[in-house]
Amino acid sequence: MAADEALGAEAERTGLPLIRFYGWSRPTVSLGAFQKLADAQAIPDIASAALVRRPSGGGAIVHGSDLTYALAVPKQHPLGQTAQQLYTAAHTAMAAVLQASGIEARLYAAEPMDAEFFCFSRRAGGDLVVAGAGDGPTAIDPKIMGSAQRRLAGAVVQHGSLLLRTNPGVGSVARHPGLEDLVPALRPPAARMLADSWLALLGPALGGSFGWESGRFVAANERDIAARIAGYADSRWLARR
Amino acid sequence: MAAELKFAKTHEWIRPEADGLATVGISAYAVEALTDLVFMQLPAVGKRVKAGESFGEIESVKAVSDLYAPVSGEVVAVNSTLPGQLDLLGKDPYDAGWIMKIRPDDPAEMAGLLDQAAYDAVVKNSAH
Repeated sequence: MAADEALGAEAERTGLPLIRFYGWSRPTVSLGAFQKLADAQAIPDIASAALVRRPSGGGAIVHGSDLTYALAVPKQHPLGQTAQQLYTAAHTAMAAVLQASGIEARLYAAEPMDAEFFCFSRRAGGDLVVAGAGDGPTAIDPKIMGSAQRRLAGAVVQHGSLLLRTNPGVGSVARHPGLEDLVPALRPPAARMLADSWLALLGPALGGSFGWESGRFVAANERDIAARIAGYADSRWLARR
Repeated sequence: MAAELKFAKTHEWIRPEADGLATVGISAYAVEALTDLVFMQLPAVGKRVKAGESFGEIESVKAVSDLYAPVSGEVVAVNSTLPGQLDLLGKDPYDAGWIMKIRPDDPAEMAGLLDQAAYDAVVKNSAH
């Protein structure tokens, strides 16, 4: 979270969109900025997972079997102006990537459902769902990718998660089907390939192109990130609500 | 009504009051850009706010946005009905949708903010 915040500062300083992907060393639940800690603690199925709180909004995400990203865009960028534009751009690009693999990925456009605890149980306009992959003819389309933002003074940091497979590290209440569960016959591409294909489309949507710099950002901004870690490591941050 | 308001580039407005206090809120443009507000955290009365620094947060379905103090001062009142009635921000952003009243450290600091015409130009440029 601290590195993502630093990424936002860097995007503001350079005027360039920046993105980072990261993994998780153990199953971890990230809470939205204002979700109640007590609500998370009341769910036995996630009791064994680590808990962190994001600065971004939205519902709780179980990490560990997903592709997690943080995208930072300067506020003056054409897609940094409103929340929906950046959200739609990111998800439209991923929809095209998945469609190229034969997966019926679509942006959700029906009634919002935003009262659920878990992000992947919620639906908002622009969420990425897999059409017709629900369990039964009346089931709603499963959500495969969700994102949420922290809008700072000079930059927007958008967190998002593409669910690759069900997370076995949590109980059934917290499990949501991932790409590999929904379309096993299609053998969805590996995470790195998905990320590459996504960036190839997302770059032009943001007016440029992305290049990989493995680990460079965190190494080059170690002191800044360390200073920001203090706030997130403080137990009052997790317990703020 | 809006002529006496001053604006920050981050879309907060401030209005000096006759009693020396100043009322702060967020612009109609900001509310429209946020869409579907779901939660708001107000500052505590008595809190000191610093110009350009976050004094509160507001959550919409997809985003959490910081609210930035247009000038430095002390929070003397907050609109406690707002968190339960977030639609006031959209319906009446410059009156019933006020967020807090502050006692500015230096009322002259407001002179450095944007007037309505300058703010309208910022919004117009943002829309392109």
